Amino acid sequence: MIAGTDSVDLPPGVSLREGRLEDIVRGDSWALNGSGAFVLGRVGCPLDVIVREISDAFELPLEAARLDVLRFAWALNTLALVNVVQRGSRIRRLADWVTLALRLAPAGAFPIPLARRHSLDTRSVPRALASALTATGPRIAAVALLATAVALQLAAASGATGSVFLLAMALGAGTGIGLGLHEAGHVASLRGVPSALVLRGRRTFVLHAPVDERRRAFVALCGPGMVVMVGLAFVVAGVAIVTPGLVILGLPLTAHALSLTMIGGDGRVACGI
Amino acid sequence: MRDLKAFALGAVAVAVLAYTIAAALAVTAQAAGRSLDVALGPFVVVSVARETTTAVTTFGSGLFLVALLGGIANLAAAQLIRHRSGRHRDRVE
Repeated sequence: MIAGTDSVDLPPGVSLREGRLEDIVRGDSWALNGSGAFVLGRVGCPLDVIVREISDAFELPLEAARLDVLRFAWALNTLALVNVVQRGSRIRRLADWVTLALRLAPAGAFPIPLARRHSLDTRSVPRALASALTATGPRIAAVALLATAVALQLAAASGATGSVFLLAMALGAGTGIGLGLHEAGHVASLRGVPSALVLRGRRTFVLHAPVDERRRAFVALCGPGMVVMVGLAFVVAGVAIVTPGLVILGLPLTAHALSLTMIGGDGRVACGI
Repeated sequence: MRDLKAFALGAVAVAVLAYTIAAALAVTAQAAGRSLDVALGPFVVVSVARETTTAVTTFGSGLFLVALLGGIANLAAAQLIRHRSGRHRDRVE
């Protein structure tokens, strides 16, 4: 959802140059018409203000200008070419989201989430790993907390005792860490390739400049591959010293191996499908 | 080559997952001082045998069987996806 109080911002790697919107990551640029250049020339301004200005400048009815500006911002955000900076109270946004979700519910649809693009530093493997983990940090924490809460709830419901709660926490932590390492693995294999990390709803993906088929397959394999290696290290260590917590911590990490099959996009890319 | 890749990736993925689950079961049984025996027919996947003071954990050939089945399933899924995406886009059946 984009509100009139929100503003748009150009993420790192996207710039305006001579009337064109240029994306370094995609290695492409798009010509802007007059109104598009007008809107993107005012990044940081609330969209309501831009709507009024564009209505005056192009002699458009206010409602038509509003529709045009919001559609334009939405389309660019869908392509991860602008980030939407949300302002106003979170409670108000949540209420608006619930209202829209209720209106869409009869059609079996949900409000489409906004995309947020983060820059990645792929100049070296350590920088790539650090920037990927920084970009996914809040999501790792959220997934770990959610998975821990679910696992603890299941443990409590099954009448478990103390040590099982620790295992449930290990499972939750592994789930969160797995997400971060998966994306970090992809990014580490993209050394020297302009890339960005995009979060859209529950989806996380790495946008990168075009590479040849072999490199693309390698990048696809490195994401789940790295998580599986780390997971196996935990499992083997857990078996060696007979510590169930370590094996359980490794379980959600090794489960990323399923991404290598046709179930996951990475497996399909690796097989050239 | 694509078929080989699909088979290999499926087999590796399922083998890793099966080994992890088997290890989790074995270590939990070992820590709890119990014995365990998981098998697919005559093929042992994992077993924990208690002796007087020690426990012996064995990962058996059942893991290879599971991996083989995983590879075949992934290969079948890959062929199905390719078959479907290869249909003519200008007609309906």
